[in-house]
Amino acid sequence: MSLTSLALRLATLTWAVIAMMSPATAQDTLAVLKDVQQKVQGLLPQVRPAVVAIRIQDGTASGVIINSSGLILTAAHVAEKPGREIRVVLNDGQVVRGTTLGLDKATDAALVQLLDTDRRWPHVNFSRAVVSVSPGDWCFALGHPGGFDKERGVVLRVGKVIRHTANSLQTDCVLMGGDSGGPLFNLKGEVIGIHSQIWEERDHNMHVSMAPFLRSWDEMKNSLVIRVWGTGSGGYLGAAIDTNLSGQIEVLRVLEGSPAQHAGLLAGDIVEAMETQPVRSASQFSNAVRARPAGEEIQLRVRRGEAICEVRVKLTSRPKEDEG
Amino acid sequence: MNFRPLLYLSFGLVTLVAQAGPRATLSPEERTNGTQALGEIEPLLPAVRRAAAQIIAEDGRALAAAVWVGSDGYLLTKASETPDLEKARVRWSADRSASLREIHRLPAFDLVLAQAVGVQGVDCTDFSQAVPVPPYGQWLASPTYGGRELRIGVISAQPRAIPGLGPAMGIRMDEKPLKQGVRILSIAEDSPAAAAGMEPGDVLTRIAQETAKDVKTVHEIIRRHQPGDLVSIHYLRHGESKTARVRLASRTRIMMNWDGEDFANGGISIRTDDFPSIIQHDLPLGPQDMGSPLYDLEGRAVGINIARVDRVTTFALPASVFWAKIHPLIEADRHPPKALVPP
Repeated sequence: MSLTSLALRLATLTWAVIAMMSPATAQDTLAVLKDVQQKVQGLLPQVRPAVVAIRIQDGTASGVIINSSGLILTAAHVAEKPGREIRVVLNDGQVVRGTTLGLDKATDAALVQLLDTDRRWPHVNFSRAVVSVSPGDWCFALGHPGGFDKERGVVLRVGKVIRHTANSLQTDCVLMGGDSGGPLFNLKGEVIGIHSQIWEERDHNMHVSMAPFLRSWDEMKNSLVIRVWGTGSGGYLGAAIDTNLSGQIEVLRVLEGSPAQHAGLLAGDIVEAMETQPVRSASQFSNAVRARPAGEEIQLRVRRGEAICEVRVKLTSRPKEDEG
Repeated sequence: MNFRPLLYLSFGLVTLVAQAGPRATLSPEERTNGTQALGEIEPLLPAVRRAAAQIIAEDGRALAAAVWVGSDGYLLTKASETPDLEKARVRWSADRSASLREIHRLPAFDLVLAQAVGVQGVDCTDFSQAVPVPPYGQWLASPTYGGRELRIGVISAQPRAIPGLGPAMGIRMDEKPLKQGVRILSIAEDSPAAAAGMEPGDVLTRIAQETAKDVKTVHEIIRRHQPGDLVSIHYLRHGESKTARVRLASRTRIMMNWDGEDFANGGISIRTDDFPSIIQHDLPLGPQDMGSPLYDLEGRAVGINIARVDRVTTFALPASVFWAKIHPLIEADRHPPKALVPP
């Protein structure tokens, strides 16, 4: 075990002990479980009306309404493309109409809009504090596995966050077919994830985190989101870029026929800024590129040896074979 | 057949790529049903452990779980997983087991009442004191592996009745009449027909001692049975005559899992439907755990786990549904009517 990970573990342990205010005993743990139960049961009546089933052609999936005018978060593999007519089944079984907006195939995030925007739709909030989600946090999943069933109602699973990566969360809330697009909540009743994928093992349940949604949130508020997300996985540069040993953002490789090549970008170039904003990390840079629509031109400040040059790149959409 | 709608969820086909992140992955021990988390509710376990037993087949396989309902060895287990109950044994610790006497089968609940022969003084669960059906989100606990471990989960849906669609073998048949029998077109994954070794192209000639005249007849014969029943079949493969015994399963189970893609993780029960009332929970149990008791976190009985349905679903029978039927059967068995002695 490396020193860093040992330090991390110790930090986690210390935190856990402080959080419980006393050494862990059976009573404490029962108290923790009961506290989780009380919170979940208190939140359910508030959040249930916002959880919906989505019907697209012969398929069935889930989603969650996140504002009063009927905007729904779901998964990209549910929406598949913008502008699709869908049916949305509400908590009480009522079926209403909606349409798919944009989506991000790379992270599996997508938006749906209910057609009747004047109705005051029941909705929940989602968490903007993406980084505050940690492994070990309690959470609960809702969805319509196997499709909407009024007698059964929405299906609840309570569990813990196992892993948190750049765009996704893994939990032990067990998911299955039909759950896709449904919400994962924290114990404040805020959406922290959207059900996306499972692997065969029981603990392999993956959710899109709020990060991909938030990256394009401002555009969405300004009604630009449809255009941005309508272009599929967003802007495409066609260059492999990573942080080099000196901490600079270096172009490692430029793909044949890519926008980066057309703009004259070369392997070895150091990207210093994009649209006058300094580039601090490779992931920040690629996220910024992906958050822009294909067709948009971006301006990069690039250092090549001793020279500083401005490069203008017209982004395209990601080539087909790279998608999803 | 368009029975099953397309269900959206991506199935990951690539291995998880470890991403270097600032935070560690939660270890299996720390997860909701990890040893560390459960170790701390260990005080619950002795009572739960003593209440549970396992039904073990002649070949040593665990068939189902059981719950003691009388200190003189009366127990309940899942009927459709234990067709030859008197050939099996009940085991309740590493060195304690007994043979079984079957008393009564209750197809309505998929339960069977039996008695462990020569057993006295077991700790039984008092279902007459069971708590009412708990609401959404309430924690529950059950023993697994015959009481060696514990699992927790929550009530995850509304209580309800589960209608039955009858039994099935998991075969699609050719409507085209043959001189003799019915041709099998396809076979469901993990189905009774697959387990019995049948293959597409086989010609079914007899089923349950009757002639498989046509598709309609075969359906009618199957419909007269219960999920869990064993039926004998005769079939032809490339003209060669073969026989097999098929254990029928719930039609619902087969249709939902025709292509075997539900990632059930540990399999599902033979009978998953036709219950008068169930509670649904998310405890990670397997089909061999059905028949085990279900408790709340105070250790009070709630019901009996009765069907592992899919990756996220387990059904349990609430005590209020079955106990009023079971209790008189035990009393009647304890005190059989005495023959009148002639004067």
